Amino acid sequence: MNRKIALVICFLFGLVMFLQYFSQHQVARSVNQAVLEYWQIIFAFTLLVGVASVIKSNVAQMRRGQDRSYRLVTLIGLVSMPLLALVWGIKADTPFMWVFENVQAPMQSTVFALLAFFVASASFRGFRARSVPAAILLLSALVILLSRSAVGSSLFPQLTGVADWIRNYPSMSARRAILIGIGLGSLTTSLRVVLGIERTWLGGRK
Amino acid sequence: MTLAIFSFLYRDNPIYKMAESLLIGVSIGYTLVIVWSSTLMDLLFKPFFCNEQYGLALPFILGLLMFGRFLPRTSSFSRIPIAVMIGSGAGVAIPVMLEARTLKQISATVTPLITESGFPDLSAIVVIVGVLTTLSYFYFSREHKGSLGISAKVGTYFLMIFFGATFGYTVMSRMSTFIGRMEFLLTEFLHLTG
Amino acid sequence: MRKIETRHWTFLGLFVCIGLVMLINVTVDHPVSAQTQKMYDFIDSLPSGSVLIVSFDHEASSLPEIRPIALAILRHAFSRGHRLIGVALLSEGTAIGYRLMRKTAAEYGRKYGRDYVYLGFKPQYIAAILSMGESIPRTFPQDYLGRSYENLELLNGVRNYDDVAAVISITDGSLTTHWMEYGSARYGIRILSGMTAAMVTTFDPYVDSGQMYCLVAGLRGAAEYERLINYKGGGTRGMLAQTTAHLYVILLVVLGNVIYFKSRRKRTTR
Repeated sequence: MNRKIALVICFLFGLVMFLQYFSQHQVARSVNQAVLEYWQIIFAFTLLVGVASVIKSNVAQMRRGQDRSYRLVTLIGLVSMPLLALVWGIKADTPFMWVFENVQAPMQSTVFALLAFFVASASFRGFRARSVPAAILLLSALVILLSRSAVGSSLFPQLTGVADWIRNYPSMSARRAILIGIGLGSLTTSLRVVLGIERTWLGGRK
Repeated sequence: MTLAIFSFLYRDNPIYKMAESLLIGVSIGYTLVIVWSSTLMDLLFKPFFCNEQYGLALPFILGLLMFGRFLPRTSSFSRIPIAVMIGSGAGVAIPVMLEARTLKQISATVTPLITESGFPDLSAIVVIVGVLTTLSYFYFSREHKGSLGISAKVGTYFLMIFFGATFGYTVMSRMSTFIGRMEFLLTEFLHLTG
Repeated sequence: MRKIETRHWTFLGLFVCIGLVMLINVTVDHPVSAQTQKMYDFIDSLPSGSVLIVSFDHEASSLPEIRPIALAILRHAFSRGHRLIGVALLSEGTAIGYRLMRKTAAEYGRKYGRDYVYLGFKPQYIAAILSMGESIPRTFPQDYLGRSYENLELLNGVRNYDDVAAVISITDGSLTTHWMEYGSARYGIRILSGMTAAMVTTFDPYVDSGQMYCLVAGLRGAAEYERLINYKGGGTRGMLAQTTAHLYVILLVVLGNVIYFKSRRKRTTR
């Protein structure tokens, strides 16, 4: 019964949001605005549910004795941010912002910076011109890399033009084909969801 | 913290794991605070309790139903707010996917192949050939044999050019991030540069 | 101690190359690309006092690359006397965006509330983009500092996208796609973007079709923009190191292939 109610709600909201796209009437715009607000508020609650799940799973794993110290550090970090925000607020020059700017942001940037090393290592160990398509991939990458460096554009002035042509025409056309495919796929999936044909989002049988 | 993360380059170690755990906790805590203050306070609690906008009771109840997931008996109620979000998103996506992602891209592909002077526009030909052959590569309802096979093979070459260009730009991007961290280490940490 | 593997040597090589080069204070010359020039010309051609939305749609992880682009664009916009509305569609962009706007505004003596405003973050970016198209005050009843929308001088008469010249999306992912698909397609707002280099090939079809007006990409794009506004920032400083990094990767690729083909020839001759 619950599944049927959910499917009907999905269909109604899908239909309303689809139809309002074609109307400029004040009623349609008000309904649109209201649904968008509902959407954002419910989404905020899903984030709260996610946070509660993280706390629950970490506590459960700590009870089982798995990586206790790491789980504890995670929970301390998770709890300290709302506490700091509650006591000192979240504007500039508060402890909350200090933790963000000096702990979170640098660590996240550094995690991403690690990828530079792995890309360099992969370039040496894995990037082989084993076949014609692989050779084309390699050549395209080398042209782009060389043209984006100051040395490449100084030594071979035409290289920038060649790289721009590769990017603006053959590379772009492949990406466009992928986009068109994704667009058609997303369109059919959205239709299937609204019409209740696609039901995987409902979850388990109950 | 930066050096703790960089220590992973040698091998996975407790210092890196500790830093990673702290990062996860702090990130989740930060997101929780921002979402609470910018959305729940601004769009729900203040209008509901201070401005008497009681129409917001409905999204409030729908939001609370999400917490039903934690108990087996009430977990099915969480389908209702999910249905609202999924339905709204899908409904809004239908015209958008059709117009912005499909029709506009197709219309941008269909451009004159012969210029005013009567010569073929090589770039326009490359684009239309690239789009058609790449699309043919992703057509799996028929085996890639004969003319479809040739078309799919040409599409593969276009895809390789795309992946190569993407790899080149990705290298550029990752190196930039590393250069940024090195600038921090050399300037603010070691004071070796101005 | 664990054995040093080949990958450790490549890591060390990268670290040493970049580290040494960054100790040298040399500016590298580079031409300005057409896209960067287009972005510059657009902001430059707007009448002084035009309202622009700057959306910080990125995470903290891409900050070293995104920051120089954002600062260059903000500097140019403030120097031209444009009025900026800052928003964030990703939670991490919220704090970063506010800090960048505040820092840059102070350099040009711009006043909060009159010359720039920071509205903050709203989740579910599709809903936020569509909602702003209908009514920005209803989407953001208060700004990031808790002040009511109606009490901010800059926002008088700014109701939706019709009252804004363009949206500049500073992004490290595909969020700008939603600006184009939901904001531009539905409400006709012009979209410009500053993005990480990794996303360039993703957005090329949109630039070609006119759905995105122009884009500035990566540290190189930031350096080009800094050259146009005559400012030596993070982009310009990083160019020599970027060149070195590219040459290092090219060397590794060539070396790896030489070793591969040599060993393949040995196997076939045996």
